[in-house]
Amino acid sequence: MVEGTISTWSMLIMLLPLLGAVLAGALGPTVLKGRSHWPVLLGVGGALVGAVVIFGQVRDAHDEHQMVVPLYDWISTGAGTWFSVSVLVDPLTSIMLLVVTGVSLLVVIYARGYMRDHNEPVRGYERFFAYIGLFVFSMCALVLGGNFLLLYLGWEAVGLCSYLLIGFYYDKPAAAAAAKKAFLVNRIGDFGFGLGILLIYLTFNSLDYQTVFAMVEMGFDAAGDKVSTGRFTAIALLLFCGAVGKSAQFPLYVWLPDAMEGPSPVSALIHAATMVTAGVYMVVRCGAIFAASPTAMAVVACVGAFTAFFAATMALVQTDMKRILAYSTVSQLGYMFLGLGVFAAEAAVFHLYTHAFFKALLFLGAGSVMHAMGGKIDFREFGGLRRIMPWTYATMLIGSLALAGFPLLAGFWSKDEIIHAAFAQDWLLGTVGLVTALMTSFYTFRMVFRAFHGVTRVPEGVHAHESGGWMLVPLVVLAIGAIFAGYAGVTMHPGGFVGLFEPHGWFHHFLEPVVEPFKVNGVGHVAAGHVGEGSGWVVAHLSHYGLMYASSALALIGIGIAYVLCVDSPMLAAVIRRAFPRTHEVLYNKYYVDEACIRWIVEPLKRAGRFCVGVDNFVIDGIVWFVTAVPRGLGWGLRGLQQGALQGYAASMVVGLALLLVIVLFGTWT
Amino acid sequence: MADWILTLVLISPLAGVLLLMLGRGEDGPRFRLIALGTSLVTFILAVVAFSMFGQSVTSSGQAGGFHLEQSVAWIGGGESDVDIRYHVGIDGVSVWLVLLTTFLTPLAIWGSFSAITKRARGYYALLLLLEVGMLGVFCAMDLLLFYVCFEFTLIPLFFLIGIWGGSDRQRAANKFFIYTVAGSVLTFAGVLYLAYYGYAHGPDQVFTLDIQTLTAMGQSGLLPMDVQWWLFVAFAAGFAIKVPFFPVHTWLPLAHTEAPTAGSVLLAGVLLKLGTYGFFRLSLPVLPDAAFVFGPFMATLAIVGISYAALAAWVQTDVKKLVAYSSVSHLGFCMLGLFSLKMAGVTGSVMYMVNHGLSTGALFLVIGMMYERYHTRDIHEIGGLAKPMPWMAFFLVFFTLSSIGLPGLNGFIGEFLVLLGTATSNTETDALAAGPLGYGYAIPAAIGIILGAVYMLWMCQRVLFGPLREPVNTPDRSTGLTRDLTLREKLILVPIGVVCVVMGVWPKPILETMEPAIAANVFHQSPATSEQLVLDPSEMDDSVAPETKEGHAS
Repeated sequence: MVEGTISTWSMLIMLLPLLGAVLAGALGPTVLKGRSHWPVLLGVGGALVGAVVIFGQVRDAHDEHQMVVPLYDWISTGAGTWFSVSVLVDPLTSIMLLVVTGVSLLVVIYARGYMRDHNEPVRGYERFFAYIGLFVFSMCALVLGGNFLLLYLGWEAVGLCSYLLIGFYYDKPAAAAAAKKAFLVNRIGDFGFGLGILLIYLTFNSLDYQTVFAMVEMGFDAAGDKVSTGRFTAIALLLFCGAVGKSAQFPLYVWLPDAMEGPSPVSALIHAATMVTAGVYMVVRCGAIFAASPTAMAVVACVGAFTAFFAATMALVQTDMKRILAYSTVSQLGYMFLGLGVFAAEAAVFHLYTHAFFKALLFLGAGSVMHAMGGKIDFREFGGLRRIMPWTYATMLIGSLALAGFPLLAGFWSKDEIIHAAFAQDWLLGTVGLVTALMTSFYTFRMVFRAFHGVTRVPEGVHAHESGGWMLVPLVVLAIGAIFAGYAGVTMHPGGFVGLFEPHGWFHHFLEPVVEPFKVNGVGHVAAGHVGEGSGWVVAHLSHYGLMYASSALALIGIGIAYVLCVDSPMLAAVIRRAFPRTHEVLYNKYYVDEACIRWIVEPLKRAGRFCVGVDNFVIDGIVWFVTAVPRGLGWGLRGLQQGALQGYAASMVVGLALLLVIVLFGTWT
Repeated sequence: MADWILTLVLISPLAGVLLLMLGRGEDGPRFRLIALGTSLVTFILAVVAFSMFGQSVTSSGQAGGFHLEQSVAWIGGGESDVDIRYHVGIDGVSVWLVLLTTFLTPLAIWGSFSAITKRARGYYALLLLLEVGMLGVFCAMDLLLFYVCFEFTLIPLFFLIGIWGGSDRQRAANKFFIYTVAGSVLTFAGVLYLAYYGYAHGPDQVFTLDIQTLTAMGQSGLLPMDVQWWLFVAFAAGFAIKVPFFPVHTWLPLAHTEAPTAGSVLLAGVLLKLGTYGFFRLSLPVLPDAAFVFGPFMATLAIVGISYAALAAWVQTDVKKLVAYSSVSHLGFCMLGLFSLKMAGVTGSVMYMVNHGLSTGALFLVIGMMYERYHTRDIHEIGGLAKPMPWMAFFLVFFTLSSIGLPGLNGFIGEFLVLLGTATSNTETDALAAGPLGYGYAIPAAIGIILGAVYMLWMCQRVLFGPLREPVNTPDRSTGLTRDLTLREKLILVPIGVVCVVMGVWPKPILETMEPAIAANVFHQSPATSEQLVLDPSEMDDSVAPETKEGHAS
C-alpha cells in the first residue's frame, strides 16, 4: 500500500460526497432545483472510484495488510497526547467501502427517478440529496476511522442522517415520530457504546485501534497488569449495546420497522444495506476484544439467533411490503451476529456483503411498486402486478430467491455458511438458523405472490405503470449482483460445475488478516470446512452436503407453502388464521412491544419529570419562600413599633428608661 | 498598549452607554445602531486582545500564566497594610470567555432590533452595562474587582427582566435578584475572611485580595482544612446559585421564561458561566483539599441535577422553559467535569462553558425569533413550522444537535472530555494524582446524555414537524418580519453555526491555549501531593509540564 495514495483517496472518499451534499444543500433551492442530484451523484461516484482504488491497493499489498494514516490532531486527552483524526485501511475497510459507495451510487441514481412525481421533483428534492451525501460521508468516516472516537463520530453521524431521512416527510406525524424513535433508541444503545469506549480508555489509556488491539492480544493493560476476562466481557458487552441499537437487534430492534416511514431509497441504502450493518462491522473490527471473552461471544450468538427467529415470526403476518422487508432485515442481521458469535466472522461479513445486494434490490423494488401505486405499499390494496410491472417483478423475484436462500443465488452461500458454523458450535443455534431459513422463504414469497400474482388489482384512481429507466437500471444491476455476488466466496460446497463452484474461498482469504483474532483468541473456533470439537452428532450426521440439501429443501418448502396459501388456496390461509386468532393477533401487533415500552418506560419517566417539576415548585421554592419569610416576618412584627404616633414612642421611651433605671439600681453586676 | 488593551475592552461598552445617554428621546433606530456599533468595537478590541495575548505567550514562553496585565492601586497601597488593586489580566481560559462574551453581545443586540420597540435607549444601555460586568469578572485578578463585577451584573439584568420581560416579569426579576444576592453575600463574607486569614497568617502581613497571591497561599498548604471547609461552603453558596446548581436552580426557569430574548441569550450564554468560572478560579485552586473532599458530594449533586433537570425539561410545554431546564442539566456536566480534578475533566468543563454559551445562546435566539412571530411559546399552540419556515427549522435542528453533543459539532468535545475525566478520575495517569471520582460516576452521567436527546428532539418534533398549527392572526408581521427568517436573523445565527462547526472539527487551538492555563491554575499541585511539591519546586514545574510534551499517540 502506498501511503500517499491511501491518504489522498480516503480523504476524497469522505470529502467528495460531503462536498456534493453542501452544493446540493446550498445551491439546490435556488440554482440547481431539479438538477440537485448531480453534485451528489458525482460525489458518490468519485467515492466509488476511490473505494475501487483502495481495494486495489489492499488486494495488491503483500506483507502489510493494514495501514494507518494520521490526518490531524482532534481532541486533547489532557495528558499531552491527542486523539487524532486518522484513517485505517485494511481488507475489512475496503470491502465495506465498496459496499457503501456502490450501493449508494445505485440508490442515488434510483432516487433521481423515485423522488419525482410525474417527472416533477418532489418538495425537498435538494434536501433529500444533501442528506444522502451527508450520509455517505458519515458512513465512510465510520468505516475509515482509525480510532474509537472516530468510530463514535461516524456512528452518531449516520444516526443523525437516518433521523433526518426517516423524518423526510416531516409533516406526516408518523414519520416525525418514527425519526425521533430511531434516534432515541439508538441513543440508548450508544449509552453503552460510549461507556464501553470510556472503559477501553480507562483500561488501555488509548483509543487507537492498533494500540488497543495490540495490548488486547497481549492481554495487558496500560499499567502492565493482566486484564481480567471480566473486564474484557464488560467492554465487549458495552460495545455490543451500541451494535444492538444500530443494527436493530433484540431488544432495540423496535425502531427499524417504523423507520420505513422514510422514502424507499433511504430504506434500501441506510436501513438495509449499509448503516444497519455498522454493528457487524464494529464487532469484526473489535474482534480481538470480543474473542477474548467467551461470555460476550455467547451473548452475541444468542442475541443474534433469537433476533433472527423473533423478527422472522413477525414478518410472517405483516401486510406492508416494506415492513416485511424491515423485519427481514432485522432477521438477517441476526444471522450475521449469530455468525460472529460462533467465531465465523468471515461468514458474517460475507453475508453482510451478499445481503447488501439482494436486500437493497428488494427495497428498491418495493419502492418501485409504491411509486406505481401512488404511495400505497400494503398488498391488501393491490395484486397481480407482474403484468403491469414486468421488470420490477423479475428483479424482485431474483432478490426474493436470493433472500430465501434458493440454491446457487447470493444468499444461499453466505447463509448456509453461518448455519453450518452455528451447528458446529451448538446444535440449538444451528436449528434456530434452519427454522428461520424456512420462515424466511415463506414470508418472502408470501409477499411476492400477494403483490405480483393473482388477479390484477390496483388502488382506485391510480394510474399504475412500470417505473422509468433511472429506477430500473439500479434494479437490474443489483439483480445481477444478487445472482452472482455469492461466487466471490464459495467455500463449503465442493463441486465441479464449470469451475464456478470450486470452494476457492477467495473472499475469506482476503479477509483472513482481519478475522485472525477470532481464530487466535477464539476458544472453540471452527474454521470454514473444518469440524470443531464438541459439535455433537448434528455435524457428524449432517455433512456439508447434508446441510446444503437440507437448507435448499427448506427454501423450496417455504416457497411451496407460500404458493399454496397465497395463490393456490387462499381460503386455507384464512382458516389457519381463524384457528389461531390469538397467535395471529400477537404477531400482527408485533408482540405489543411498542405498547409495553410506552407503558413501562416512557410513561413512568414522564411521571418522574412531572414529579421533578412539582419538587421544584413546591419543595425547593417552598423552602426558599420560608427562608425569605423570616426577614419578612420580622419586619412585619417590628412594623407595629413604628406606627408613627408620638405618644406611642413616648410611652416606649418611658418604659425603656424605667427598665434601665431598675437594672442600674438593682442590677447584680454593679 | 499591551497593558491597556483589557481596560479598553472594559471601557468601550461604557463609552457606548455614554453615547446613548447623550441622545435625545427614548426610541428611534439610532440607539440600536449605537449599541450595535459599540459592541462590535468591543468585539474587535477583544480580538486584538486575543492576538496580543498570543504574542505575549509566544514572547514570554509562559503559556499558563496571566498576560496583558494592568495593575493600579485602588484602595490602600503604598505603606498601608491594605493593598486592593484594580488588577486585570487574562489567561488561556478567560481569554476564551472574554471572546465568547464579546461575540454574543453584538448578536444579542442585533437580535433585539425588531423585538424592542419601547424605551430602546435604556434597553441597549443596560445590555452594554451587562457586558461590562461580565467582562470585568473574566478579566479581574483582584477579588474585590471580581466581586464588584460579579454583583454588578445583577443590576442591568434585573431591569432588563423587570421592564422588558414577559407577563410575570416583576416576580421573575425579584426572585432572580434576591436569590442570587442572598448567595453571593455569603461568598463575599468568604472572600473577606480569606483575605483576613492571609493578612493574619500570610508571609507579607498585607490585606490583599490579589487572586494570584491567594491562590499561592491556598496551594502552599497554609490554609488548614477546617478553614478551607468553611470557605468552600461560603464560596459555593454564591457560585452554586449562579451556576445554577441543583437544588438551588429554581430561579432560572422563571427568569429565562420572562426575560427578553437578548437577556436570555446573555443569561444562558455568559452569566451562568460566572458561577462555574468562580469555582474554577477560586474554589479549586485556593481550596484544593476542600475541593477534593467535597468532590464526591458535588459530583453527586451534579449527576442528580443532570437527570432531574432533564426529566423536568421533558414535561415542559413552554419552549423557553424547556431550554432553561436544559441549561440546568448541562451545567451539571460542567460541574461534574470540574470536580473530577483531572486535566481532561476540567478542560472539558471549560470547553463546555464556551460550547453551552454558543449553542444555548443560539437556541434562545431562534426561540425568540419564533416568539416574535407567534407571541406564544406553548408547544400545544404551534407545530409543523418546518414547512413555512425551513430556515428556522434548519437552525433549530442544528443547534439542538450541537446542544445534545453530536460528534463533529462543538458540544461533543466538552461532553466527551468531561466523561473521560470523570471515568478516569481515580487513576494516577497523566502525572497527576488521583481525583475523587471514578467510572461509577460516569455511568449515571451518561444517562443524562440519553435524556438530553429525549427532550430536545421531542421539542423539535412538536414545534417543527407534523401538520401546521398556528395561533389565529399569526404570524405577526407588524414589525417588518417575513414569514421565514429575515436576512438579518439569518446573519445573526450563521456566525454562531460556523463557530460551532469549527470548534467541533478543529478544537485544537482552543484546547492548546486552555490546557496550560488549567494546568497552572488547578494542578499547580494536586491535593494528594501538595507537601512534596512545595518542598521540591522542580516537581512543581513537572506537573505543569504535560502541555509541552505533545504526542500523536492518541
